[in-house]
Amino acid sequence: MRSPFFRRRRRDRDLDDEIAAHLAMAAADRVARGEKPEEAAAGARRELGNELLVREATRAQWGRGSLERFLQDLRYGLRLLRRSPGFAAVAVGTLALGIGANTAILSVVDAILLRPLPYRDAGSLVAILMHGTGPVTPGNFLDWGARSRSFESMGAADLWSANLTGGDNPEKVAALRMTPEIFPMLGVRPSLGRFFLAAEAVAGRDRVVVLGDGIWRRRFGSDPAILGRAIALNGEPYTVVGVMPPGFVFAPFWATQSEMWAPLDLAGRANNREGQSLRVFARLRDGVTLAAARQEIAAITASLEREFPGTNRDVRVVTLLERVVGNVRPALLVLLAAVGLVLLIACVNVANMLLARSSVRRREVALRAALGASRGRTLRQLLTESVVLACAGGALGAALGAWGLKALLAIAPPETPRLTDVRLDPRVLLATLALSLATGIVFGLAPAFHASRLALREALAEGGAAGAGREGGRLRRVFVAAEVALALVLLVGAGLMLRSFAALRRFDPGFDPRGVVTLEVSVAGTRQAAPGRRAVLYREILDRFAALPDVAAAGAINHVPLAGDIWGWPYAIEGRPPSRPGEAPRAIYRAVLPGYFATMRLPILRGRAVETADTDGAPGVVVINDHMARRRWPGAEAVGKRISLGDRTWLTVVGVVKDAVQGSWGGELDDEIYLSFLQTRQLMESTEPSSAYISYVVRVPAGRDPAGIVPALRTAVRSIDPTLPVSAVHTMEDIVAGANGRSRFQMLLLGVFAAAAALLAAVGIYGVMSYAVSRQAREIGLRMALGASARGVLWRVVRQGLSVALAGAAAGLVAALVLTRLMASVLYGVTTTDPATYAGVAALLVAIAVLASYVPARRAARIDPATALRSE
Amino acid sequence: MKAVDSLQPYRDRIDLLQGTLDLLVLQALTWGPQHGYGITHAIRATSRAALQVDTGSLYPALHRLEREGSVASDWETSENNQRVKIYRLTAAGRRKLAAERSQWKRLLEAMALVLDASKAPATETNGP
Repeated sequence: MRSPFFRRRRRDRDLDDEIAAHLAMAAADRVARGEKPEEAAAGARRELGNELLVREATRAQWGRGSLERFLQDLRYGLRLLRRSPGFAAVAVGTLALGIGANTAILSVVDAILLRPLPYRDAGSLVAILMHGTGPVTPGNFLDWGARSRSFESMGAADLWSANLTGGDNPEKVAALRMTPEIFPMLGVRPSLGRFFLAAEAVAGRDRVVVLGDGIWRRRFGSDPAILGRAIALNGEPYTVVGVMPPGFVFAPFWATQSEMWAPLDLAGRANNREGQSLRVFARLRDGVTLAAARQEIAAITASLEREFPGTNRDVRVVTLLERVVGNVRPALLVLLAAVGLVLLIACVNVANMLLARSSVRRREVALRAALGASRGRTLRQLLTESVVLACAGGALGAALGAWGLKALLAIAPPETPRLTDVRLDPRVLLATLALSLATGIVFGLAPAFHASRLALREALAEGGAAGAGREGGRLRRVFVAAEVALALVLLVGAGLMLRSFAALRRFDPGFDPRGVVTLEVSVAGTRQAAPGRRAVLYREILDRFAALPDVAAAGAINHVPLAGDIWGWPYAIEGRPPSRPGEAPRAIYRAVLPGYFATMRLPILRGRAVETADTDGAPGVVVINDHMARRRWPGAEAVGKRISLGDRTWLTVVGVVKDAVQGSWGGELDDEIYLSFLQTRQLMESTEPSSAYISYVVRVPAGRDPAGIVPALRTAVRSIDPTLPVSAVHTMEDIVAGANGRSRFQMLLLGVFAAAAALLAAVGIYGVMSYAVSRQAREIGLRMALGASARGVLWRVVRQGLSVALAGAAAGLVAALVLTRLMASVLYGVTTTDPATYAGVAALLVAIAVLASYVPARRAARIDPATALRSE
Repeated sequence: MKAVDSLQPYRDRIDLLQGTLDLLVLQALTWGPQHGYGITHAIRATSRAALQVDTGSLYPALHRLEREGSVASDWETSENNQRVKIYRLTAAGRRKLAAERSQWKRLLEAMALVLDASKAPATETNGP
């Protein structure tokens, strides 16, 4: 089927031929009657009449489909836009910016917050947490499972790091041990083999493992014969029973990098009500609501608390999706609100521009009406133009959105959940297109309707601009005020983010991350795991490192701040009454080798650091952080006091060290204790992978790149024992940047959107104000001709702009006060009502508005009054 | 718009009544397929030059009739290599011609009755 456009062109050609043939035949007849050829041709043409009119009348018989009318409107609209490329570029660019930003952020929000998790019937999966968001004790998990009726199944997972040994490249692999209920609960099939069975979650039979797709490809060359083969994990043979499909992630909110899953046997820990390490997952029984499950768990918790005081507090049941995305939701909603505001501003801008144009085009519209165009036809013409604008903006916006999404993913903090699921969704594209069309219709209709009504009412008689449409003026003022208000909300949000960011930048981590590199050495599964060997090995590695030519200082710790785990440990203070169960003070538990504080440049405020002499057998020592010293011994000297970690041996506080950042950048400080690694029995003797490793920190001389020393460090470890896996190699600066990542990311995005919005609003406000002022040129000229001073005229115009801007600013301030509450959880070191931010932003916007009315007004006041009066 | 040809003054020309052009064109095509110029020629000739079809009306009429399906067209090439559009009557066109013809006849009879009557018949209604 040929398009109407081409059909029409062929018909035009046919008609030309038909008329040419007619003329030729008529001329031939005349020649036959004896006329001269030239006279004959002229006569034939004369007889035909006005050829153009004949053609036009004939064409009129072909009829116009609505599509052809639309195409005609479209061509006309495009021609008009081509004739004012500035207007078209600004309008299309403005819309594209708004739509592009919305496409990108909507795609992210959709993928992260809205789409269900990739498990069967994911809506009925829940996580059960202790202490608000924390892991669960084995005792509680087993009791919940035995006493509750709300769940179809319940399972638990425990962190497990496995050294994949037995090859040339020993590797520490992130892994989980979990009870056999979990895999069936998720409803995901392995791509090869099977899951482990209930019978395999028993000591002695639990040497089976399910591999992730990634490690199967990376380490085993996608070998389908891997099933049934034994691989060495922590030095023991595990039989591979299954391989998971690509893209499978578990657990979704923690240990997301896990690539191996093995059975978890809790039999030996059934009575453990202290050690919180399990993450509990459950699937609601059909027909059981979340509220009912919560009620049941609350009842069980209450009775468990009576049986085992202090072990059951603040137990929560939350949907799995909530647990996964709960902590990024506020930030995403803030971003969504921000891009929504950008789009609104863009729409108001375009509506304003259309409105201004519609006033200019009143004569044209009036002419159309006078020539008999129906009101509907005129409306449709004007609407087509704004839809053309909106569609061009939408297309450009979709491209911009796709590009923006790519940029967004490149800079997003990697710990953002479900980031790998984010892609430009066709539904989002469709929504964007609908959005742009709706924008075109809604914001095109108002001015179009306005214009066509004016046209019919006032027609040609009024003669154009002088009246400037009182209603148009009012609508414009509302638009400008709205724009000021919207921009103010966005800029206040951005300002608050900026101040948070500045506060975070000023935040002192306590240590100096520059020039420090950290790496982890794991002994689990190697011959170095044997008791007694570690003390020698750890010190030997440290000595090797310290002896390297490009090393300024070296030390070691169990968990590197910001990057490592946080272990809380209850402690007792000598001479104080014992705490009730579950209420003992807890401290973050770290163990260091000598040199740690010097390497990190963490100053010892009083007393001494952990030293080489603090070995097993020497008196137990502990260094505490300043926060703990002030809190537990206010006004007294902490050094010399003794604490106990519940094992009836007393540790003497030998030093107080400067507070260092712990789990999160800018987070609240907790009590923190640093033990001597060599005195920490668990770290030195347990063969559990979660205890059998150490993290070294190495400082290079000032001005050197710390990453450059890594090969030498690896070689040093290999020269001592080539079977030792070295992992988690990072510069301390990368770790700090990672911890800063989320706030920097939000700050950057909100900043970009706010800058875009401020630019749009400035362009819009300036454009509309200066347009309105230039329409008053005649009035200004008249006033000046009648003797008004330039200053008086200027003030009058500026006052009008100022009043509109102030009204907008007032509305914006109120809206910002309400809306920024949404941001409270993403701010740091600044309140949502920070007066400086509000005042600064409001002043900026009012200044833009005043400037936008002052500059054109001054131009108008300089024009010779006579010229101004004739300017119509 | 009418062309007044100074060489051939059709003083006895009759202005065509609204709606009669279709009838004439359809009738002309019953004599065989013909191009637009041929149709004007045929009408002028058979009416003894009393009916002059205005080209400004002919082509719109032909295209309208073609669109409603009363005529169809084919393209031929003339001896001097010009594309010529030849119209022919379709079955629907024949039916339309028959209908318009009888209508025209009724109109003529009615006209004749009126024009030939010597006086007005008695009125049946009371005028306002």
